[in-house]
Amino acid sequence: MTDHREERPNPRSGVPTDVGGHETRDEATTLPVLPGDLHAVTGLSSRTLWGDAWRRLRRNKLAIIGLIWIVAVVLMTVSADLWVAPLFGDPLTVDTTPGASLQSPSLEHPFGTDKLGRDVFARVVYGARVSLTVGVLAVSISLAIGLMLGALSGYYGRFVDTLVMRSADVFFAFPYILFAIALIAVLGPSYRNVFIAIGILGWPSIARVFRSSILSVKENEYVDAARAMGASDFRIMFRHIMPNAIAPIIVYGTMSIGGAIITEAALSFLGMGVQPPTPSWGLMLSDAKSLMFRAPWLTIWPGFAILTTVLAFVLMGDGLRDALDVKMKE
Amino acid sequence: MPALLEVRGLSTRFTTRDGIVKAVDGVSFALEPGKTLGVVGESGSGKSVTALSMMRLVAEPQGKIVGGEVLFKGADVLKMSEREVRDMRGNRIAMIFQDPMTSLNPVFRVGRQIGESLILHKGMSRKDAFDRAVQLLDMVGIPNARDRAKDYPHQFSGGMRQRAMIAMALACDPDILIADEPTTALDVTIQAQILELIMEMQERTGTAIIIITHDLGVVADIANDVMVMYAGRQVEYGESRHVFGDSLHPYTWGLLDSLPRHDSDEKGELVPIEGQPPSLINVPYGCAFHPRCPYAEEICRSEVPPLLATDTGHLSACHFSADPAFRRGMDRDQERVALK
Repeated sequence: MTDHREERPNPRSGVPTDVGGHETRDEATTLPVLPGDLHAVTGLSSRTLWGDAWRRLRRNKLAIIGLIWIVAVVLMTVSADLWVAPLFGDPLTVDTTPGASLQSPSLEHPFGTDKLGRDVFARVVYGARVSLTVGVLAVSISLAIGLMLGALSGYYGRFVDTLVMRSADVFFAFPYILFAIALIAVLGPSYRNVFIAIGILGWPSIARVFRSSILSVKENEYVDAARAMGASDFRIMFRHIMPNAIAPIIVYGTMSIGGAIITEAALSFLGMGVQPPTPSWGLMLSDAKSLMFRAPWLTIWPGFAILTTVLAFVLMGDGLRDALDVKMKE
Repeated sequence: MPALLEVRGLSTRFTTRDGIVKAVDGVSFALEPGKTLGVVGESGSGKSVTALSMMRLVAEPQGKIVGGEVLFKGADVLKMSEREVRDMRGNRIAMIFQDPMTSLNPVFRVGRQIGESLILHKGMSRKDAFDRAVQLLDMVGIPNARDRAKDYPHQFSGGMRQRAMIAMALACDPDILIADEPTTALDVTIQAQILELIMEMQERTGTAIIIITHDLGVVADIANDVMVMYAGRQVEYGESRHVFGDSLHPYTWGLLDSLPRHDSDEKGELVPIEGQPPSLINVPYGCAFHPRCPYAEEICRSEVPPLLATDTGHLSACHFSADPAFRRGMDRDQERVALK
């Protein structure tokens, strides 16, 4: 509650004596009754829960660094077509001129070139496209399945709960990466199938997190109050429980994007993910592994890209966890 | 005047791992329009479950209403369809919960929340419902109601939240307001204000009130009728002046004796009721109160005392209630000390 006090004028000194003119019931003693105009000045009444969360997030340096990095990567990838090819060369065009391959980093090729003479920087930037898209789409699929099943499971309990949670257990029982490989082996290795596979594998965790979140929110008195007010199951679920249960999902979802990016890289590294010549960080690492000592930049840069991007999502998720927790008001 | 609400032989049970809990066991009472009924008892005596059962809010499948009738304006609530019950809840019978800190949804503005039942039951537009919510907040004594209605619950203090809860419950102008320990979670200074507010609202709107509390002082001040509950059963029921002025049941005596008295100068000792309330899974045989009752005799252990009425319509479930010598004419504190 301390951060409240920082922004709120001291009731003794800041508020004009007008306070006494208001109804001085209990509120006057426990909470300063602010005159209307002062309300507007402090912006107290316009504060929202999300506004509060943003304020707390802003104070978390690591989370903001993560956020800035994510925004930078997104901007870079989205605008890549405009500047990457003219400046550094096309990420797909093979350059067979002698000496073009395996150049060490220079001004012209800041990250060097690979064994087919392609600019590594260009490939890293375009690789971010694959990583981010796979990350976001995979998590979206997990969310769509996980939220629905988690909600049913948490709200209705009993038979539905058992069914959903035992299926989740079945999914958990398989070694994750092997299950992904098996799925892709069935679907066929391609860009699209990678995020479908990762998405399908991600739902059990989301469902579990959401279920437990709903179970704890369901116990709140305001849910009983809503029922006593005559609200239907549907209304209680979507208007009263969901908005209160969604915070852990935002956190978990953000972190999962990082996880999905790693899985994509791992699958591509194993040859089960994005297929060449599409640039993908995992694929680049895979191609570079035999040249690791001759041309270290081939592994360093994609590795660095994976590390920083995943870290950015995790930091961001961690910051969100603190920001969305109403009780963590220092 | 015909009863607005009549409850007959209401029984609710919970199935738990340890056995069947008889939370409410054959409770009957009636409520007339505009009157106030106080329901008193220790924690776990079935007060809240009685209220929840009346609104069919007992959590299934563990909880189940196994018998009785709840006649609201002549229609049995227990036989209504889910839809009819929903139309009644919040609209005809509204409820205030114990803890105002947790009974408001933290993600909605207070005004929105108060207006919700108006949108739901009266088909108001969001704007109209908000305006009405502002009026209601003003009515329950929130200063700057129009601004405060745009606040979130965490910006309200405990007393203000309980005021907001009352505004919410009164939004649809209900026939019955059930207040489940409305002041328990509040500061003592605020408790009196909230009670006063509830009474004031009753005068204005003419709603009947069922107030559930373990605080006899609260009930004595405001209730017309009082029902004392013990172990899921009603042990004493009658007009407030009879129940307090001429208590018949040893449990009620115990409750009264355990209250601190402010009206006399002498520092009398508080006399607690010895022992713990029974587990509702293994309710003592006979009179449920007998293990703690200083007057218990053989008959109390073997027979469930019937609910007997005096000529004033004052009911008591004690084998000795009919015995005038047992009822009055002795200093109960003294006698209890002697018995120990």
